[in-house]
Amino acid sequence: MIARILSISLNSFRENLREKLLYNLLIFALLMIGSSILLSRITIGDYHRLILDIGLASINLFGVLIAIFVGIGLVSKEIDRKTIYTIVSKPIPRYAFLLGKYFGLVITLLANTAVMVLGLLVVLYVMDVPITGLFFQSIGLIFLELMVITAVALLFSTFTSSTLSAIFTLGIYVIGHMSGDLKELAKKLDEISQAIINVVYYVLPNLERFNLKGHVIHGLDFGASDMALTISYGLTYAGLLLLLAGIIFQRRDFQ
Amino acid sequence: MRVFQPAMRISLLWCCAGLLLGIVVLIQLKLEQHSGGRIAKLEQLRLLPRGEVLRPALLGYHHVGADFLWLRVVQVLGDRVVRDQDYEWLYHALDVITTLDPKYVYAYEAGGTVLAELAARVDLSNQLLEKGLAPNPNSWQIPFKLGFNHFFHLNNYRRAADYLAQAARVPGEFPIGPPLYTARLAARLYAQGNNPDVALEFLAGMLDQTTDEKIRGQLMRRIKRVSLERDLQMLERAVQQFVETRDTRPPSLAKLVEAGLLAQIPHEPYGGEYRLDSATGDVTSSTHSERMRVYRSSDSMASEGDPE
Repeated sequence: MIARILSISLNSFRENLREKLLYNLLIFALLMIGSSILLSRITIGDYHRLILDIGLASINLFGVLIAIFVGIGLVSKEIDRKTIYTIVSKPIPRYAFLLGKYFGLVITLLANTAVMVLGLLVVLYVMDVPITGLFFQSIGLIFLELMVITAVALLFSTFTSSTLSAIFTLGIYVIGHMSGDLKELAKKLDEISQAIINVVYYVLPNLERFNLKGHVIHGLDFGASDMALTISYGLTYAGLLLLLAGIIFQRRDFQ
Repeated sequence: MRVFQPAMRISLLWCCAGLLLGIVVLIQLKLEQHSGGRIAKLEQLRLLPRGEVLRPALLGYHHVGADFLWLRVVQVLGDRVVRDQDYEWLYHALDVITTLDPKYVYAYEAGGTVLAELAARVDLSNQLLEKGLAPNPNSWQIPFKLGFNHFFHLNNYRRAADYLAQAARVPGEFPIGPPLYTARLAARLYAQGNNPDVALEFLAGMLDQTTDEKIRGQLMRRIKRVSLERDLQMLERAVQQFVETRDTRPPSLAKLVEAGLLAQIPHEPYGGEYRLDSATGDVTSSTHSERMRVYRSSDSMASEGDPE
């Protein structure tokens, strides 16, 4: 089974590499990272933080855009092109197809993130900015966030159109970053509103948990236990979303 | 009817596109002159929403948001003329930046210095710096600057000494920790806040930490002025000693050197000279008739303000 999933993943990866959008976003990301050199010349004070901030934010933002806009087409494109019939008629479980598609995009994101990180490392080296272990921890958690976002996009793409999937996934991304602030604001509201916001806070993915950009620029320690908990949180959440996607996809009628 | 050949038609379309681009750039330039680029930049900073509102809207990119706002502040500050009322927006922008990133020590430090030294808004400077104390317990720069403000602008030596002592308690070696002289300066402030030597040591420390040319110029002017006061006090003490030992006033300052009370007459920092009124025993400078009352132990220190 693993071999089948792997072959679908590699096929999906090759297919993703043909997406022009991927290269456009990658070029933009690299331009943004490179532009931090110019911007650091016009600031005063801590130019290290500017380069790190812009670099990490670019990797994060463009990674999310790739995850969403490539992720939403993973299943719906197969349905639109009717290629899904040839796949579901083969002796491959539907969940294996989904997992294959998911890991295909994860490999694509890994390759993209590696290119963007390499670009940033070159800039950091040229500008003599110290590179710490926290930097790599932060990149790791950005990648974990991308894995969760991809799973969200895949889940929506199993039961709705590409456009709606994109809107829903962007919605989850926005709420995922705002839920902590919403919880704080809810303290001023009545108990029912607080309860609703608490449900949103605990059930929807809290994407701020994967945000270590502030830790990197301020050199704040992020303990091994915190890191382990955050990784467990991300992987469990992505697993839950894939399970839901599998259940929905299993029951879906393509007639 | 085909008026143009296809190749010609394409060239014509390119010409049209070039023409339209030229018009767009011209209109943009005209608009720029109309609104005044700098005013537009200021307006954008003034109309910034509150940091508490902006932070969640930035979806986890609030640190980079703080960076871009800081870049804007730096660009506007870099302009030749910044009017007094413009500093109101500066405080607002700095407040937003430090709400987006409460650990942005440089923004507190540089912002606090600009507000106090260039804008003469010590109240806003202290407000900003006080905000930075809680989220940055390991920053010595923020309490150091607060100490400076209380010493030079508010003449509150006791609180200045408290802040310096707080800065001195931050662990680590300079530049992570405070400069070595911080603890000594705090102790001297507790003991003799109105001594010009203490002020000069504080100013030298502040000058070491400042790179901005405008602010360095301001500090240098202050150092000159306090040096003048220190010299005048030293000369007055020598005159006093002369009177006590010889029961008569010295006819000139040179007599103080001859009597061995001074090694030499100090150089007047503004290029003038020191003069002695032999009738009254008063020492004055040829360039400044006003004295800095804050450094005279006989005067009340809290209410006088800084003549600079």
